[in-house]
Amino acid sequence: MTNYCGYMGKVLLLDLGTHTAENYIWTDLDREKYIGGKAMASKILYDNLTGAEKPFDPENLIVIATGPLTGTGAPSSNRFDISSLSPLTGITSSSNCGGNFGHYLKKAGLDALIIRGTCEKLSWIEINNGEFIFHDARELRDLKCGETQAALQEKLNAEHGKKVSCGMVCIGPAGENLVRYASVISGERAAGRAGMGAVFGSKNLKAITAAGDAVPSIYDKEGAAAHRKKWVNYIRRHPLTGEQLPKMGTAGLVSSMQVHGLLSTRNYARGQFEQFEAVSGEALAEELTVTNSGCLSCPIRCTRRVPVDGKTVKGPELETLGLLGGNIENANLEQICHWNYELDELGMDTISTAGTIAWAMEAGEKGLWESGLRFGETEGLSKIFDDIAHRRGIGAELAEGSKRLSEKYGGKDFAIQSKGMELAAYEPRRAVGQGLGYAVANRGGCHLNGGYLVVLEGLGMNVNGQTPHGKADLCMVMQDLMEAISCGGQCLFTSYGVVPAFMVRNPNGILQRAVNAIVPFMGPAVRIYNKIPEIACFNIPLIPYPTELRYTTGMKLTLGEFTRIGERSYNVERAVNARFGVSAANDKLPKRLTDTLQDPGNPKTRVPLEQMKRTYYRARGWGKNGLPGEKKLRRLGIR
Amino acid sequence: MVTVKLFGTLRLDSDVKELTAEADTIRALYPLVLAEIRKQKPDSGITEKALKSCLIAVNGKQATPQAKLRDGDTVYLFPAAAGG
Repeated sequence: MTNYCGYMGKVLLLDLGTHTAENYIWTDLDREKYIGGKAMASKILYDNLTGAEKPFDPENLIVIATGPLTGTGAPSSNRFDISSLSPLTGITSSSNCGGNFGHYLKKAGLDALIIRGTCEKLSWIEINNGEFIFHDARELRDLKCGETQAALQEKLNAEHGKKVSCGMVCIGPAGENLVRYASVISGERAAGRAGMGAVFGSKNLKAITAAGDAVPSIYDKEGAAAHRKKWVNYIRRHPLTGEQLPKMGTAGLVSSMQVHGLLSTRNYARGQFEQFEAVSGEALAEELTVTNSGCLSCPIRCTRRVPVDGKTVKGPELETLGLLGGNIENANLEQICHWNYELDELGMDTISTAGTIAWAMEAGEKGLWESGLRFGETEGLSKIFDDIAHRRGIGAELAEGSKRLSEKYGGKDFAIQSKGMELAAYEPRRAVGQGLGYAVANRGGCHLNGGYLVVLEGLGMNVNGQTPHGKADLCMVMQDLMEAISCGGQCLFTSYGVVPAFMVRNPNGILQRAVNAIVPFMGPAVRIYNKIPEIACFNIPLIPYPTELRYTTGMKLTLGEFTRIGERSYNVERAVNARFGVSAANDKLPKRLTDTLQDPGNPKTRVPLEQMKRTYYRARGWGKNGLPGEKKLRRLGIR
Repeated sequence: MVTVKLFGTLRLDSDVKELTAEADTIRALYPLVLAEIRKQKPDSGITEKALKSCLIAVNGKQATPQAKLRDGDTVYLFPAAAGG
């Protein structure tokens, strides 16, 4: 139970082995400290994992968590989070998804679902108003994600004698076959990263459906309605959330990344792809996009819908365009749309799949491992994807990811991963703050968990991307803010609005150029805020999240307290990872990014990682080992 | 003669992908680009001010509005909303 609105007040721990469920104690004090979503999940993992568990052990937990804003109609608040030990990295990881499962999980009366144990046989679980039914899923084996969801909908309709309105998460063949980067799919959206699908597979869990009649209450309905109206207007007026994302989606960043030298090309050997126009957001909009769409209650509507095999399906994001485009020297846009669809259907992360393929192409070229894959030769890749998903032939090896392959065959310097997770499409040698983020990110080479500094270093503002100055402190504040935003249940794209519109609208203006020039020198000021965020004992319109949380839940939060929750979330996740052996030595990037210049004539075009890491650990109040000490954890109220 | 390529919402809103023009500076390009846009799509609503706020790249590298142009150069114009 809870005294706060927005929440359903119930967290269930479900044991797949015994088919039993028990209430998991999650108090209002926990809600105040962690809000929900990935912070809540990290704390649950912190309280339950000892460091001895392996990702595929029955003792590993899956935590599916919503935020208090999920399903309440707040802007872009349809997100939910899946956290677990990752088979790709061996450490804790989270994967965020915009599918409708979170919304329906709350309708079923739950804020979060914790899963442990293993089903005896392949199963799917039906949740209906908090009740569980286990179903045999053996006849769904090897079905792709679309087919699985269609079959489940049919079964539910038949069982209940009417069309059942529900949310689903499921895995495809890749998850069943324990591909280390298998995703979980909800509708057309993916909890793509970190191999959560393989953890489902290891537990013989094919799918979960959720339905019910519960509705989250709103603390101050009138206040929330007025605040949301204002916020939606702001989102629609902002050049990034109101123009670029609705018109071009994330694909709109390809061209800008090209000019900034940020577009991963030929397994990150370069930051510019000669044929970038063919795989750009402009080409996608002009040649293939049928319409755009969005998740529930989202005013941004960034999803491209494109034709594939006579159907209209979700189009590729920037990551997929970059990594299955220039990074493997492919300029065939239609092919990328097709692969994007295939990978979602097989239930495989497009980023890690593409990163592993690019490594294999280079390894083949260098004579380290012959897979037959070559840059620019993309015929037959569909078959390779299917082989990976079914662990057939070389697919069985590619299913292990680039880190394991490079440890086996050599080529670590160009295995573009951190902590085992392949990097996103942003080449960091022209955005070194983004490079720092990739290295220190708790879940591995993730652009978002790393603080997404590239939005300041070229894609929103124009801050010098080649200076390390100020980046450690900025990285920390961005990470903490994004953590807190995610915990509420909102999409991180709303945080584009944090970059003032005037900074984006006219990068050539005198004021804008001055601000861009000053930002790297703001490190000390940002550090003061990072140390004592409570000095922000107020809220500002640019960061409307704490206000929204107050109207929805009744929880009074200042900007400073909100930031502190993000910091707590980041630290608790780090503390879990420490149990699994993570330390400063794991916060690294491949030598290609730290030791090889992107432009041989410009000594600044590499990531000066060690220098930034030292400042980052100091900023975080961590030891030189890159870990929070007892005192830090106690001060944050984690212990 | 320089080649000008438009990107982002500027391109989608104007229906102009590319044009060639005689200009020796970026500043001199703005009215020529605007004229082409107005010819192609008179109701695009794109103004010279919007063009001047664009991020610029010459031959693939970032440049300022003061940049001089040489025959054969390729100029990219990115509206700020394309992630300037």
